[in-house]
Amino acid sequence: MFDSEVLLPDLWDILGAVPVTLTMALAIFVLSTIVGSLFAMVEYRRVPVLRELVVAYKVAFKGVPMVIVIFLAYYGLPPALQFLASLIGIEFNGHATPNWVTLIVALTACVSAFQAEVVKGALNSFDTGQADAAYSLGYKRSQLFRRVMLPQVIVAAIPDLANSFMVIMKALSLGFAIEVVDIFAQSQLTAALNFYYLEAFLIAVVIYMVIAYIVTHGADRVEAALRART
Amino acid sequence: MLELKNLKLSYGSTQILNGVDLSVKRGDVVSIIGPSGTGKTTLLKCINYLVKPASGTIGFDKLKMDYQRPDNTAIQAIRLRTAMVFQQFNVFKNMTVIQNVMDPLVVVQRKSKDEARAIALQELDRVGLSDKLDSYPSQLSGGQLQRTGIARALAVKPDVMLFDEPTSSLDPELVGEVLRVIKDVTSSGITSLLVTHEMQFAKNISNRIVFMDRGVVAADGSPTEIFDAPSNPRLAQFLNSELAIQ
Repeated sequence: MFDSEVLLPDLWDILGAVPVTLTMALAIFVLSTIVGSLFAMVEYRRVPVLRELVVAYKVAFKGVPMVIVIFLAYYGLPPALQFLASLIGIEFNGHATPNWVTLIVALTACVSAFQAEVVKGALNSFDTGQADAAYSLGYKRSQLFRRVMLPQVIVAAIPDLANSFMVIMKALSLGFAIEVVDIFAQSQLTAALNFYYLEAFLIAVVIYMVIAYIVTHGADRVEAALRART
Repeated sequence: MLELKNLKLSYGSTQILNGVDLSVKRGDVVSIIGPSGTGKTTLLKCINYLVKPASGTIGFDKLKMDYQRPDNTAIQAIRLRTAMVFQQFNVFKNMTVIQNVMDPLVVVQRKSKDEARAIALQELDRVGLSDKLDSYPSQLSGGQLQRTGIARALAVKPDVMLFDEPTSSLDPELVGEVLRVIKDVTSSGITSLLVTHEMQFAKNISNRIVFMDRGVVAADGSPTEIFDAPSNPRLAQFLNSELAIQ
């Protein structure tokens, strides 16, 4: 029923997918945080028109299941890229786009909608009294942002950002649908060779848990260290 | 040196300032008193353009500005020559006490770190915070936070100090330490505008008292005129109720 003999070789097999998974997660995390921050700034500063577009974007990408977005990107992105490249006169075979790129684009598009809320919440937690003080002392808006606001907003956002990273880690398992091999997909593939499914997925669970522990614990410590200073 | 004329401002349908006139001479210590919600704080914030009056003018020495045509150069010039102390302290939470005082000097006034530090040490000594230089706001009491705010304001060497209810959100036992510092500041000759509910204190430190009621200046005179012989019935009523509490 349960064979502990296969655990070790399976572990090595599945561990092989960890670096790729983490790298993709990190890429999506960084990109979606940048895009989400831009969205949040648009809403925070109440930029007309763009603000409505951001709201529409968030409704779309928070509402549609990620797996659908992944398929849409899989079928839609290569021809779209090819078309765009041809517009500026570049010969480009869109269908040569690697699937992992498609996955990163699709998940970044989805997660950005959530990151926008994370950053917006952190921005809203900043008390405007400090802004009054800065302006009354002659700070320009950019100086207020850089010197006072940003350092506080980052600390406020850390717990939710760590959350987002774990959401991305798990969402990457949807990449199996377009043949991108992450921790989950590698477990599936490993098990398919020897039929020890329970063992392979157990190992996947342990790996996911270790990563979750490191991310959560790390974020807590960074936050505590910075929080002492605010 | 500071002259506000016919300031009007409303939030939605609520008229906050209903044509306020106020002029302050160099060296004046003016206390603004009056019931809550009559626009005292709003008036102070107008000077630094932290709220935007619908109409009215401000004169600051030779500078003149019509609030209907806001002029960034004039706004910035006035901000640089005034300094404000807030009811909620509004110290920068990501900076230590000394960083709070140094930062405007370095960022806005472009002073060197050494020069800024020397000024900050001096002002923090004046408000009695020399032993808290490297503390963060989260580690300080309300009185210490407010004294940091005062040191930060003094360090920019303003021509006018604006105090917005500086003791209203302090625990009663911390009010004294802040009032002592404010008294020291105002007696040094710097022009000051103080919004306060501390009647006795206002009487002691001011050479002029302005009574605001329903968005206008309803009475304006020396402390004796205002407190000992209030001619305005609303003022008399207000003083009675305030003194009944104290």
